Amino acid sequence: MDYRIYVEKKPRFRVEAESLKRELNESLSLAIEDLRFVNVYDLFGFSAELLEACRYSVFGEIVTDTVTDSYEIGDRKYLAVEFLPGQFDQRASSAVDCVHLIEPDAEIDIRSSRLLVFEGDVSDSDLQTIRHYYINAVESREKDLSVLSNKLDVDVRPLASLSGFTAMEVGEYEDFCKKWGLAMNADDLGEVVTYFLKEGRDPSETELRILDTYWSDHCRHTTFTTELTEITVDESFMKREFEESLQLFHRLRKELGREKKPLCLMELATIGARYLRKIGKLDDLEQSEENNACSIFINVDVDGNTEKWLLQFKNETHNHPTEIEPFGGASTCLGGAIRDPLSGRAYVYQAMRVTGAADITKAVAETLHGKLPQKVISSKAAQGYSSYGNQIGLAATHVREIFHPGYLAKRLEVGAVVGAVRADNVRRESPAAGDVILLLGGRTGRDGIGGATGSSKEHTEESLESCGSEVQKGNAPEERKIQRLFRRPEVTRLIKKSNDFGAGGVSVAIGELADGLDIYLDRVPVKYSGLNATELAISESQERMAVVVESKDAEAFKAYCRRDNIEVTHVADVTDSARMRMYFHGTLIADLSREFIDSAGARHFAKAHILPVMPYTEIKREGCPQLTAIDQQAMIEMFDSTIGRSTVLMPYGGKYQKTPVQVSVQKLPVDGFTNTASIMAYGFDPYLSEWSPYHGAAYSVIEACTKIVCAGAEWGNMRFSYQEYFERMTADSWGKPLSALLGALRMQVELGLPSIGGKDSMSGTFEDINVPPTLIAFGITTVDARDIISPELKRSGSLLYLVRHSPDANQMPDCDQLRQNWAFVSRMIKDGRILSAWALDGSGIEGGLTMMAAGNGMEYRLIEADCELTIPFGSMLVEANSQLDSPNAILIGEVKGCSVDSPRMKD
Amino acid sequence: MKPIAYLPVFPGTNCDYDTAKAFRVAGAEVCTSIFRNLTSQDVFSSIDEMRDNIDRCQILVFSGGFSAGDEPDGSGKFIANVINNHVIADAIHALLDRGGLILGICNGFQALVKSGLLPYGRLGLVTEDSPTLFRNDVNRHVSRMVTTKVASVSSPWLSSFHLGEEHTIAISHGEGKFVVSDELAQSLFDHNQVAFQYVDNPNGSSFNIEGIISPDGHILGKMGHSERWEPGLFKNIPGNLCQPIFRNAVDYFSSTPNT
Repeated sequence: MDYRIYVEKKPRFRVEAESLKRELNESLSLAIEDLRFVNVYDLFGFSAELLEACRYSVFGEIVTDTVTDSYEIGDRKYLAVEFLPGQFDQRASSAVDCVHLIEPDAEIDIRSSRLLVFEGDVSDSDLQTIRHYYINAVESREKDLSVLSNKLDVDVRPLASLSGFTAMEVGEYEDFCKKWGLAMNADDLGEVVTYFLKEGRDPSETELRILDTYWSDHCRHTTFTTELTEITVDESFMKREFEESLQLFHRLRKELGREKKPLCLMELATIGARYLRKIGKLDDLEQSEENNACSIFINVDVDGNTEKWLLQFKNETHNHPTEIEPFGGASTCLGGAIRDPLSGRAYVYQAMRVTGAADITKAVAETLHGKLPQKVISSKAAQGYSSYGNQIGLAATHVREIFHPGYLAKRLEVGAVVGAVRADNVRRESPAAGDVILLLGGRTGRDGIGGATGSSKEHTEESLESCGSEVQKGNAPEERKIQRLFRRPEVTRLIKKSNDFGAGGVSVAIGELADGLDIYLDRVPVKYSGLNATELAISESQERMAVVVESKDAEAFKAYCRRDNIEVTHVADVTDSARMRMYFHGTLIADLSREFIDSAGARHFAKAHILPVMPYTEIKREGCPQLTAIDQQAMIEMFDSTIGRSTVLMPYGGKYQKTPVQVSVQKLPVDGFTNTASIMAYGFDPYLSEWSPYHGAAYSVIEACTKIVCAGAEWGNMRFSYQEYFERMTADSWGKPLSALLGALRMQVELGLPSIGGKDSMSGTFEDINVPPTLIAFGITTVDARDIISPELKRSGSLLYLVRHSPDANQMPDCDQLRQNWAFVSRMIKDGRILSAWALDGSGIEGGLTMMAAGNGMEYRLIEADCELTIPFGSMLVEANSQLDSPNAILIGEVKGCSVDSPRMKD
Repeated sequence: MKPIAYLPVFPGTNCDYDTAKAFRVAGAEVCTSIFRNLTSQDVFSSIDEMRDNIDRCQILVFSGGFSAGDEPDGSGKFIANVINNHVIADAIHALLDRGGLILGICNGFQALVKSGLLPYGRLGLVTEDSPTLFRNDVNRHVSRMVTTKVASVSSPWLSSFHLGEEHTIAISHGEGKFVVSDELAQSLFDHNQVAFQYVDNPNGSSFNIEGIISPDGHILGKMGHSERWEPGLFKNIPGNLCQPIFRNAVDYFSSTPNT
C-alpha cells in the first residue's frame, strides 16, 4: 500500500518553523503571523503494520512530534516543496535505512517533502514572493499534493546519431557546438572531425560527449594551457619590474631546458617548483603519476619514534555550483576536496574554508535578476559546507569569509584540506595489462550530468532555471565509509593507483587511470534504471572512487569493502592497447585513442597585455561592509573544530573565546601519541589585488608566511598551493592572471617557497561584473605542537610592539627585511619572550589589537610612536614580556589587565 | 585484566577513532564493529555480530557522529532503532544485569535518551513526557568549548570527581538542548542523576543539564566530547581540559574483577 503521512513538531518544539517565519518576514517584509512547518512523507509498499511500527520510531518521535495521516489546510495559503527527481534526498534515504532496521526485507520506497502553511495576512502575491525565495529551481520544485506516486522517468533516451559528422564543413562547426550545447569551441571540434576522418567513421554521441567533458576547462585547464604568443607591458612605475620578472621567468625556462614548451599560465604557475626542485630546495616532494593532491614527505614522531609520512593537501573551488545552489555546491566542494588526498590514500583530518561574498546585508528585493541574494548564498553555503564536514568528521579550524563587491559576479567558495598517511602504507605503481579496476562507493544517477562542462560554460541570467541537473548534494556518511576503509593499511597496500570521481564521471575518473582500458558501462551501479551509455559515461557522482588492483587481489579488496559497508564493482580492465574502449551490454560504443584524448583539443592562443599600475594610495574598502572575524563567529562556530582529537588551537581563544586564530594547526592522525602537527594559513586581500594583481599575489604569499611565524612555526620549509579565480578571459584580461602569477613567482624564487599545486577557476564573470583578481596562497608546514602560541593578549604589564615591514620603493615586499623580522620573532617566541603575536591584515593595527585583546578581555594603552604603515601585510604585532631589541620592533604600548571579570571591557 | 570497551560504528558515526583512543589510553581493550546495511542479510548479520560483542564486553560505547545524517529529521534515530531491536535490547539488558557500563557521547547520548536507556536505565519506557535532546535554541550547529561542573558523583563514570569540579570541554552539536519537564528534572536531581551542568549554557538545555546517568549510575550520557582532548591540544583555552571518565570506567573494573 501507498500512504502519505504528516509530521509536525509539537508547539514547544517549533524552533525551525519560528526561525523560518522570522527569516521570511525579515527578508521579504511580510507579516506572516504563524507558519506551520510539516514534514510530509510519501510511503510506497508499506503494510499498515509496518507504518504503525515506524510511525513514532522512524518518522516522528513521541516526545516532540505528532504524526498524522491527513493535514487540514483549510483555506490557508500553503506551499509544498519537494526535491527535483534524482536529487539526493538524505531524509528519505535515511528513512528507508531506518525502516529496514525494523523490517529488513521490506521492499519500500519513500519520498520526503515539506509543507509550509501560512497564517495571517498573506496575499497571493506574497505567496508568489515566498515561492520565488524559498524554492531554488536548481534543486527543488513545488509539489502537487494531489498526486501520490513514485514513478520515475525510466525511458532510456536513445543515443543520438552523428552520421555525416565527418562530412561537416568548417563553417558549420560553430553552429554544431551551439546546437549540441558543447563546452568545446569550433577549433576543438575541428580536431575531432580530423581525428574521426582518420579513424574512417563518424563518432558515437558517447564519444563526442566524453571528449567534450575531457577537454572542458574544469578538467583540462583550457585557459591555463592557452599559449600566450605575445606579452606586452604598459607604461607605469611598475613597467621595469614587470619586465624583470618576465626575464626571470624566461631565464628559469632556459635553465630548465623548457624554452621550447608552450608559454602559458600553467607553465608560469609550475616553473617555480620545477626550479626550486632542480636547485635542491624541494627534496621532500613526492613525485608519482598520481597527482590529485600535493604530496610531501615529512617526519612524524609517534610515541617517541620518528616515522616517514606523506602529507597531502589540496584546495578546491566550487564557485559556479555554489552560486546557483549554495548548499549542495558548498557541500560537494568539501566532498571533492577531501577525495583528492583520500584517493592518494591519505586520511583527511584538517580543513580550512575561504569564501568571498559581496554585500550580504543587502535587502533581498535588491537582488539582481537571475541571481540568488548574497545573504542566502552566504548562509546556505556555510550550512552546506559545515554539515558535510561535520558529518564526515573533519575538523575545520580556520574559516573566513572575505568581502568585495566583485564577488557579486560569482561567489568564491574554496575549501582546503590536509591529509596524511604513513609512507610505507602507500604503494604507487603503474597499472599493467591484466589489472582490474574496481568502482566503490555511491551509485550513479542522472543528477551529475554536465557538472564539468557546465561550470566551464558562461553563467548568464538563465542559468538558475536551466542548470537543473548540474548540482548534486553530497552524501557525507558514504564518504566517511571510504575514509574509514582507506585508513586501513591492509587495504591501501593493495591499491596500485587510485582516482576519485570528480567532474567528468566514469570517462575521466577511470579514463585517467591507465592508457589502455576496457570499461563495461552496464556494470556501473545505478540509482535507478534507464540511464543510457552516454549518461553512464559522463555523469559525475559524489562519494565514488576507482582503484586499480592486481587481479589476484581483487577478491580480497572487495571483501574489505563489504566489511566496511561499501558497494564495490569490477567495472574495467587495464589493457595494453593505448585505447579507451567502452562497452555497453557487449556493444562497443566508444573507442578512442589515448593520444587523441590527451591532446586536449585544439591549441588555443592569446595575447597578454599587462595594464598600468596606478601609484599606491591607501586602500579604501568600499562597496560592501567588511565583517571581521569576530563578526563572523556565529557562522564559524557552525563548523566542527574539535573532531579528530587533534586541534592544537581552537578557532577562537582566550577566557572568552573571542580572539580569532589566524592559522589551522592539527596534530597528525597517528594511532599513538605525537607532538607533530601540520599548520596551514592562507593569504589574500581582494582590494590590494584589485589595485595590482602582481602585488596582491606577492603579499598573499607573505601574509601566509607571517601568520605561520606568529603562531610559533618556522616559515622556511613551507609548501604552497595557490587558488586562482579570475574573470572570464577577454583580450584585455589575460594580463591579470599573468601578473598575479609573476608576483607569486617572484616570491617563490626570492624566498625559496615553492607552489607545488593549485587550482584555477577562470569564470568569475556575470554579464558586466567581474570578480576581483584572486590568488589565494595556502601555505603549510609541520611544527612541534609544543612550540605553538596563540594570538590573545595574555598578561597585564606586557609590552606591545609593532615589528614593522617596510615595502620597497615599488611597494613590493622587502624579502631581506622580512627574513630578518620573521627570524627575530620566531626566536623570541622560542625563548618565551613573545607571548602572543598577530600577523597584520587589512584591518590594520587597530583591528589587530582589538582581536588580540578580546580573548581575555584585556585592555591596552598605546604610547605615541611612529607606526605608520603603507601595506600592512608582513608586519606583526607582538606581546612581549620584556624589552625587544630589533631595529624594526617599535614599542607602541602596554597591556593592562581587565579590571572587571566580563568580556565587555568598557561597561 | 583489561576491560573490553565495545564501540559499534553505525553509518554516520564519526567519533569512533577519538573515543577508541581515549579508552585505549585509559587502559581498556577496544573492540569495534561496523554496522552494515547494504542488504537485509547485512542487517541480520550486523545485529548478530553486535550481540556477540555486547555479550563479551564490559563497557558498551555509543560514539558521536551523525547517525544516518541525523535523518529523518531527528538525531540518533538510526542507533535508537538498532538498540530497540529485541536481540540487541536483550543483550544490553544482560550487560547491565551483570554490572556492565554504557556510555553515550553526543550522538550516542541522543540515542540513549531516545531509546529510554537514559534516564530510565531500561529500554521500552519512553513516553510523551520523557526527556529528549532537541535542536539548539540558536537553531544551528555550535562548536566551541564550554565549562561544565560536576553535579553528581554517584556513578563509576564519575568516581574520581568531586561535586562542583569544573571541566572545559569541546561541544559540537546541532541538537544538544536537553528538554525535560520540571517534575522529571526534580526527580533526576533528587536521585543524583544529573551528572554535569553547563556553567555557560550553549544550547538552551533545561536546568543547564549537559549529561545524566541512569538510576544506578552505570549508564552515562553527555553532549560534551571528553574524548577530544589530549596533552598539547586546545592551547588557547584556559581551564581544566582533562575529564577522565574513561579512566574512571577502567578503574572501576580493575577494582571489581567479577563482572
